[in-house]
Amino acid sequence: MLTYDVLIVGSGGAGLYAALESRMEEDVQVAVLTKVYPTRSHTGAAQGGVNAALANVDSTDSWEEHWFDTVKGSDYLADQDSAELLCREAPQVIREMEHWGCPFDRTKEGKIAQRPFGGASKTRACYAADKIGHVMLHTLYEQGLRHGVDYFNEWVTLSLLHNGQRCLGVNALDARTGKLHTIQAKAVILATGGYGRIYWNRTSNAYGNTGDGTAIAYRAGLPLKDMEFVQFHPTGLRRTGILMSEGARGEGAYLLNGWGERFMTRYAPEKMELGPRDLISRAIETEVRQGRGGPEDEVFLDLTHLGAKRIMERLPQIRQLCIDFEGVDPIEEPIPIKPTAHYSMGGIHTDINGLTSIEGIYAAGEAGCVSVHGANRLGGNSLLDILVFGRRAGVHALEYARKTDFLPMPKNVLKMAQSCINGLMEGDSKESLADIRRDMANLMADKAGIYRDETGLTEAVNKLEELKERYKKLRVQDKSKVFNTELVAGLELGNMLDLAEIVVKGALSRQESRGAHYREDFQYRDDDNWLKHTIATKGTDGKPVLSFKPVTITNFQPEARTY
Amino acid sequence: MSEKIMPESEKITPIREKILANIRVQRYTPGKDKSPYFDNFKMEVETGMTILEVLRHIKNTQDSSLTFRAFCRSAICGSCAVKVNSDSVLACSTQLMPILKDFGKGSVTITPMSNMPIIRDLVVDIDPVIEKLAKMHPYLVENRERVPKALEQESLMSQKELEKFNVMTDCILCAACYSACSSVKTDSNYAGPLTIVKAYRYSADPRDNFSSMRIQAAMDQGLWSCVQCRKCIKVCPKDIRPADSIRNMRQISIEVGIHDTPGSRRARAYTDDVENFGQVNKPMLPVIVNGTKGWAAIEAAEAGLKKHGMEPTRQVCTLPGQKVTAKIYAKVREIEAKEKNQGENKV
Ligand SMILES: Cc1cc2nc3c(=O)[nH]c(=O)nc-3n(C[C@H](O)[C@H](O)[C@H](O)COP(=O)(O)OP(=O)(O)OC[C@H]3O[C@@H](n4cnc5c(N)ncnc54)[C@H](O)[C@@H]3O)c2cc1C
Ligand code: SF4
Ligand code: SF4
Ligand code: FES
Repeated sequence: MLTYDVLIVGSGGAGLYAALESRMEEDVQVAVLTKVYPTRSHTGAAQGGVNAALANVDSTDSWEEHWFDTVKGSDYLADQDSAELLCREAPQVIREMEHWGCPFDRTKEGKIAQRPFGGASKTRACYAADKIGHVMLHTLYEQGLRHGVDYFNEWVTLSLLHNGQRCLGVNALDARTGKLHTIQAKAVILATGGYGRIYWNRTSNAYGNTGDGTAIAYRAGLPLKDMEFVQFHPTGLRRTGILMSEGARGEGAYLLNGWGERFMTRYAPEKMELGPRDLISRAIETEVRQGRGGPEDEVFLDLTHLGAKRIMERLPQIRQLCIDFEGVDPIEEPIPIKPTAHYSMGGIHTDINGLTSIEGIYAAGEAGCVSVHGANRLGGNSLLDILVFGRRAGVHALEYARKTDFLPMPKNVLKMAQSCINGLMEGDSKESLADIRRDMANLMADKAGIYRDETGLTEAVNKLEELKERYKKLRVQDKSKVFNTELVAGLELGNMLDLAEIVVKGALSRQESRGAHYREDFQYRDDDNWLKHTIATKGTDGKPVLSFKPVTITNFQPEARTY
Repeated sequence: MSEKIMPESEKITPIREKILANIRVQRYTPGKDKSPYFDNFKMEVETGMTILEVLRHIKNTQDSSLTFRAFCRSAICGSCAVKVNSDSVLACSTQLMPILKDFGKGSVTITPMSNMPIIRDLVVDIDPVIEKLAKMHPYLVENRERVPKALEQESLMSQKELEKFNVMTDCILCAACYSACSSVKTDSNYAGPLTIVKAYRYSADPRDNFSSMRIQAAMDQGLWSCVQCRKCIKVCPKDIRPADSIRNMRQISIEVGIHDTPGSRRARAYTDDVENFGQVNKPMLPVIVNGTKGWAAIEAAEAGLKKHGMEPTRQVCTLPGQKVTAKIYAKVREIEAKEKNQGENKV
């Protein structure tokens, strides 16, 4: 049996920072288990920037202002003590990244450069051209190589092992050989990223952002928090959901519906295309619902009036993106777009050290929920979240591992994992994985996406029930043990169905609109009744049980969120 | 449906073509198949479809056992490199329609990358590449003159210094260059383009302090084996130009005074000979490059010449243009010295 002091599941920024931090003094054994090679994790897709009040560009910035922006952005659902830590520790983690070689762009004085970002009152986002996530991820991976972190690449974690009080380890599948393993660990840090893929093709997330760690934790009895909050970005490419940045609208692109109308006149006659993200997403959704979308329920981002010269000069990367991924040259025709699920605010409930309700089990990054983003994450704050809380989890897990011993591993722990795999592999069925997945995604986008209401959500609860029944009958057709990607997709679908149910139930119960959660039947924020976190735990009947937890307010009293 | 509010607007009808295509994919499952073979899948391809979408479509609707890697589907994770009609490309950012039209046959062939063992179908084993990379010390080791210890300070670095290595940090480790590399093909011990890109990226970083170790590592793994065929430049989806990094790495290996490699000795012999004779002194190259081992080659060559009635020589004549060449050398030295002075003044 493989044995490690600290085992990290997930190799995005959160996992790698945690690994590095716990391995820094090289006195405990640390391993990272990951579904893909570390540098392929979704963190690499982040382009824009990471917030820290370094005051390199605007000398009047301070962590306190960053703190206020974060709390306001969260629509007051963030815990203010956690948000304070996030902003206070931000400059340190960014400098640590810099000391490890992260190639941030530079100011004239040779310091880390910063750019303005939506929702921030000061110029605060540190950046590296348009590849900040990519360079952060590579820097962390490489430092991990230097300090002797072990990597288990293309290993899929299946379940979390604990004895009700303390952590024991995990079960995992080595995708390459098809073999199952138990890995014993004093501490496990779950850093498996978000669950945007429950909307399948309508997300900016990578294929593997299926919320595995969150679902695994839930099935192991750990509480999840604020799962109903999923942020949508208004402009994803029609076919793939790939993000079209705000840059195009900044240059003067028009948003047109299928009839060719500049429909933002109806929703934000002054700001037009430059209105806030959630407003634009809702506007697009309304156009499509009222029958004014394109042939495939898309709307269009039109650059043609800018002319070839301006497009080539100012937006060359955006143009290339459209040509490569959508087969459309924006010089010649409008770009087809749809709003796309972008960020999962909810996750595994943890304290400010990433610790869950079980000793030795931690969560960090998009998989966790401390919470610093509340009902709506600010741009540039999630890369910061993975650094600050990845590090805190790493430090805490290291101390814990140093002072504890391994617990004896009960026999037969692999059995459950084995029977779960067998359940998917043995026998035949008419159900198709791709069909169930597509039906789930359409249901979620329709009933639990940008617009929600009681009727739709109730319908979604019932339909998910049916989908789960179909999933039980699903059998993987590919019977090979070697690199069975269909099996992995089957496991991921199981995780997504579990989480979709929790998202829908949370959304149904929350009778207000706050941040990214918009109820047509309750259009306003309701602080008297709903200034609280939703906690979901698995009930004895296998269904989620909801409870609520007050928001920690230390400094800022809730106000209306206007920009 | 509501009324049109802007009468002048015109309905948008996107141009979306469809072609019935034949997708030929190489298949292989070790343990099951004796050797790789091809499967043909017929499907309707429409404007906008990437190679990756086509593969996913086949997997979802025709054959769920078709195996390939993909993750970000946005050209940033480096998972999905395959060969399309023999070129190494990223499946997720390669549009199929133009390829089908270009070749006019409505058919396309997809095979796994070369130079790496096949795990299954289009999935290859990149561990050997990662192991070679890990040996290059691919990380920053702090130069304490530049990198402060305390987290209250940043290291100072100008944008200009950053630009020296910035483009190399774009590498997504997709291994397309490794798949295309001529030298890896003939010498499996050669580290391959991407690993040297990474070694050079850190050696060119002013915050780093480890470049001599990295040069040694690169030389141990065949820094001078690259034949500069530039195939890596052609295939790199991030325009990183690995062959240029390799040349730069060779350059610094000579500058820091590690002359004792076949390649750097050859380079030095070429430049010295041209200055002295106006041409390369070919007869002596084997000894200069390979040391005493080279005598065997020289003697064999001389014996061959003698057999054909020719008198061997160990020193070429001095060509008439040598004087001009020597002047050019002097001028180059002068300019180099000047630049070096200026550089030092700037720091
Ligand atoms: C297109 C895009 C742009 C963005 N831009 C920005 C930005 O500019 N600024 C910003 O702050 N944020 C941005 N974000 C958000 C930010 O990138 C993410 O929230 C963040 O990177 C999440 O990091 P993570 O470490 O939590 O998870 P991830 O990077 O998603 O990593 C998850 C890891 O878990 C592993 N894993 C998952 N399941 C399993 C399993 N079962 N077994 C083993 N391993 C598993 C995966 O292999 C992966 O390594 C952006 C997001 C997107 C989609
Ligand atoms: S130039 Fe060198 S590294 Fe690049 S492909 Fe050719 S032999 Fe390989
Ligand atoms: S150098 Fe280019 S081709 Fe080679 S691995 Fe990096 S990105 Fe891919
Ligand atoms: S899937 Fe990530 S590069 Fe193609």
